[in-house]
Amino acid sequence: MPLLLLLAGLAVMAVLPLAVPWLQFTLTIALAKGLAALGVAVLLRAGLISIGHAMFFAIGAYATAFLMRDLAVTDFATLIVASTLISALSGLLFGAFLVRYRAIFFAMLNLAVSMVLFSLLAKLYGVTGGTDGIRVATPSVFGMALARPVFADVLYYGGLLLAGLVGFAVHRYLKSPLGAALSAIHTNEVRLEYLGVSAWSVLLVAYTLSATLAGLGGAIAAMAIGHVVPEFAFWTESGHIVLVAVLGGIGGVVGPFAGSIFLEVVQTLAVGFAADAWNLIIGLALIGVIFFLPRGLYGLMETRRRTSP
Amino acid sequence: MRLLKRYLAAAALIAATPAITLAQDAKRPETLGVGVFTFTSGPAAAYGLPGRNGAEFIIEMINADGGIGGVPLRATFVDEAQGAEGVISEFRRLAGDASNQVMIAALSSANCLALAPVAEQMQVPTIGWNCDTHQLLQEDYDYVFRPNGNTIPEFMAYAAYLLDKKPDVSRVAIINPDYAFGHDAAEIFKAALKAFKPDVEIVAELYPRLGASSFQTEISRLSAARPDVIFSNLWGGDLENFVRQAQPRGLFTTSQVVLALGETVLQRVALPEGVIVGVLGDGWWMSPTSMANEKTQTFAEAYRKKYGEYPVFPTMKMANTFLITKAAYEKAMKANGDAWPTRAQVAEALKGLQTTTLTGEVTIREDNDGIVDQIVGTTVKSAKHDFPVIGDMVRYEGKSLMPPVGQDPFKWISGLDKSFLETLPKPGSYK
Amino acid sequence: MLQSLVPLLVDGLANAALIFFVAVGLTLVFSVLRILNVAHGSFYSIGAYAAASIGLWIVSSGFSPYLTFPALLLSAALVAALFGPLVERTLVRWTYGKSEAVQILVTFGLFLILEDLQRMVFGVQSLYEDTPMALLGITEIGGIVYLNYQLLLIGLAAVVIIGLRLLIRHTRHGKFLAAVVADREVSQTLGIDTNRVFIMAFALGVFLAALGGALATPTSGVAPGLGAETVVLAFAVAAIGGLGQIEGAAIAAVIVGLARVLAIYYAPALDAVAPYLVMLVVLLIRPYGLFGSVTTRRI
Repeated sequence: MPLLLLLAGLAVMAVLPLAVPWLQFTLTIALAKGLAALGVAVLLRAGLISIGHAMFFAIGAYATAFLMRDLAVTDFATLIVASTLISALSGLLFGAFLVRYRAIFFAMLNLAVSMVLFSLLAKLYGVTGGTDGIRVATPSVFGMALARPVFADVLYYGGLLLAGLVGFAVHRYLKSPLGAALSAIHTNEVRLEYLGVSAWSVLLVAYTLSATLAGLGGAIAAMAIGHVVPEFAFWTESGHIVLVAVLGGIGGVVGPFAGSIFLEVVQTLAVGFAADAWNLIIGLALIGVIFFLPRGLYGLMETRRRTSP
Repeated sequence: MRLLKRYLAAAALIAATPAITLAQDAKRPETLGVGVFTFTSGPAAAYGLPGRNGAEFIIEMINADGGIGGVPLRATFVDEAQGAEGVISEFRRLAGDASNQVMIAALSSANCLALAPVAEQMQVPTIGWNCDTHQLLQEDYDYVFRPNGNTIPEFMAYAAYLLDKKPDVSRVAIINPDYAFGHDAAEIFKAALKAFKPDVEIVAELYPRLGASSFQTEISRLSAARPDVIFSNLWGGDLENFVRQAQPRGLFTTSQVVLALGETVLQRVALPEGVIVGVLGDGWWMSPTSMANEKTQTFAEAYRKKYGEYPVFPTMKMANTFLITKAAYEKAMKANGDAWPTRAQVAEALKGLQTTTLTGEVTIREDNDGIVDQIVGTTVKSAKHDFPVIGDMVRYEGKSLMPPVGQDPFKWISGLDKSFLETLPKPGSYK
Repeated sequence: MLQSLVPLLVDGLANAALIFFVAVGLTLVFSVLRILNVAHGSFYSIGAYAAASIGLWIVSSGFSPYLTFPALLLSAALVAALFGPLVERTLVRWTYGKSEAVQILVTFGLFLILEDLQRMVFGVQSLYEDTPMALLGITEIGGIVYLNYQLLLIGLAAVVIIGLRLLIRHTRHGKFLAAVVADREVSQTLGIDTNRVFIMAFALGVFLAALGGALATPTSGVAPGLGAETVVLAFAVAAIGGLGQIEGAAIAAVIVGLARVLAIYYAPALDAVAPYLVMLVVLLIRPYGLFGSVTTRRI
């Protein structure tokens, strides 16, 4: 069932920019952030909340920028793969240490690492461009230099395809014993260990996966915006990623994307009249969802489907 | 794979065509949409808001005067405090709307550098009203212009003025904001000092974060370094904060302070006499040139009536930028048989444009960089106003402080020596 | 050598004093309520805005400028009275016993709401109110001029640590507080009104955050974004000291303050990184902070 929903969602997303062209940029960003939110959602299943996950989004984005600027890599596919790999590696590295902790300490340690990264990105002017960030030129695709609108198409539909594939893979992962163990960690970690499953390795896989997803999102965002800045790694960004995941619902793989697309589109539409109260609105929405819709927006769709004959 | 390649090649062709069809659309629009980027919130708004006010005010004046070629201006303001991601998104959104034909962007050098390639991609004429960083035009652009001069002449001017005013300077400390503008300025100022007076020692170099609210530790550090001269291009709320915090702690009495953007805070904090300040260009509404210009004085008085404060140089820079936009449109229409120009034609007209602004003259060079004069002076008590004004002024000719087109600015500076200073006018010569 | 060390120390302590109040509030709330309040920094900035606004009003209305001193304290008390009980009773209380994820998210939602409310109430321009600083004058220490106000803050921070200690150890309410910290269930069975203790502790936390903000205004401007920036610094200090450790927060504040000062003096490029670097190093070695105790994993 969720797979059908995923496919339907992909189909709607594929035609939407044809009808409303100016939405394409917004939707590309929404996809990128949706990937990061999906990563956070995987960890939330194990009851772990990271308020530092934007760092992997930033690592993916800066990896793209560095590869282009310093190593003269211009190929779209290479950039995406390499940036995602770099994020995955950093996830593995940080994760090996971070997943030993639970609850508030996990949240705080992620925050600590992300703030170190944020302030280094902002302070090392000579290397990272400081708060100015780094420009990201338009990558080439299969050796062809493309005009910007064409590249925007490639990025959007490529991103959509990737989101579909990744969504499917994460869906399978969550259904696998490894994924099921996540919920088990949430409910009773010790029992899991008595069964001979190492919580550390279960979580390390989940953490690396979540970093990979966030990094992929960051790489897409870097190319879409054409610029990377340290703010990508600031803690409020991390908070927003978690917010998106929770708002959309962490029950399935569609939720985080739904939340991200919903928020980005509403924010773009509301920029004229609600810009000054945007934080207020999403803050209220977040608290409302936690109080009344514990399964998020996606849960809303789910219950409707279940109650209808 | 081959199919995809073919699609891409075809799509590239299709994408190129609408630009051609658009180019023939010459009907006069109802309004001329302009996107204006500045800081309207946060610490930087202390500098950004006078800019925004200047835009609103000059738009009113231009529209009351019949707009541009009969078309009234309509501005959409974008707050740069939302960060580069938001600013770029807004730029894309605005430029994607065909009714917006020109972008006046931006205030922060960081945002200018981020927006320039976007402007070029979207082929929308973008005029940097405050994009001073010399890095901006190091690439070739067809749609990005800076009519207000850049960091090279601006900070060369301070080095020259300082050495004329205080020839025995030996210990210099620098405190600049931590981003392109601050680092650029420090590099240029240091390079110029090294060229003109090689024995000057830099005793401290601090780059506090843009928007830092407290500078107390930095002030201790500066005091401990015992500098003869403290140079700073802090601006906006940061500059106000720094002055308020540094003054009671004696920095202004123990060292000669140079505040490159000092003019913006003259009406807000009590700067002592003898501080070297300027306007990064010629935008001082009380300069002898401006005083002689009736239009400028009417502007300044009317501005004060409306906003309760005299204009500061960001106001003048912004107003001048709109006058330059107007001149470009008029030039483009003239070249176009009075038909309404396309975005491309406006960009074309900006090349080599020459016009009179409220505070002087501007010429746009072939590298899209504007040449304006540089006014530097020292704070003095005013007989007429209850705030200090700029005295002992010098007005450097813009061209004299700029490297020739295409030459690396730092190579140019390092090739200069003391004799260069002798070719320049002296403090007090501009009366 | 010694002479150059003294200013370093004074600057370090002045820096520490500025972050101490808000960090100790955060850690106090955590120790009693067991929640990490992400919106804590917002109370700091609201306190700063309140103090600056009241101070500006006092000066412009022609009252004695010396009234700006009690106004600093008063504005913090006002913020605590207004937000403490209200937020605790409506939002925070609902999260007791829920997972950390829920607690963090609810307070993050509150943080977002308060960010916009501040913009609506106080506007988006920077505020400056430095009357208390100007009234107190200056002192020269080790050849560097310091504001007496900075020295006063160091003293005040010391007073607050001692005050908190006396409050918790030697007053009835304080003993209730300590009892709840030690064991919530047992205190309840002993007849301690835990609800009241929670309100009290939360309001005290808000008061300390707002006080930190209020006391910072005379030496620095107030602008949007202050809350977001402060709360992570407060997290860092609280985490270094060990969440829930009041004296730990004080010592951590001094460490972070000194680290920042050392960075500005000797490695300016590292100044913003210093607090988080210290945090990371400390947490790598002692994940529960310098003075925190290891809590067992829940079964």
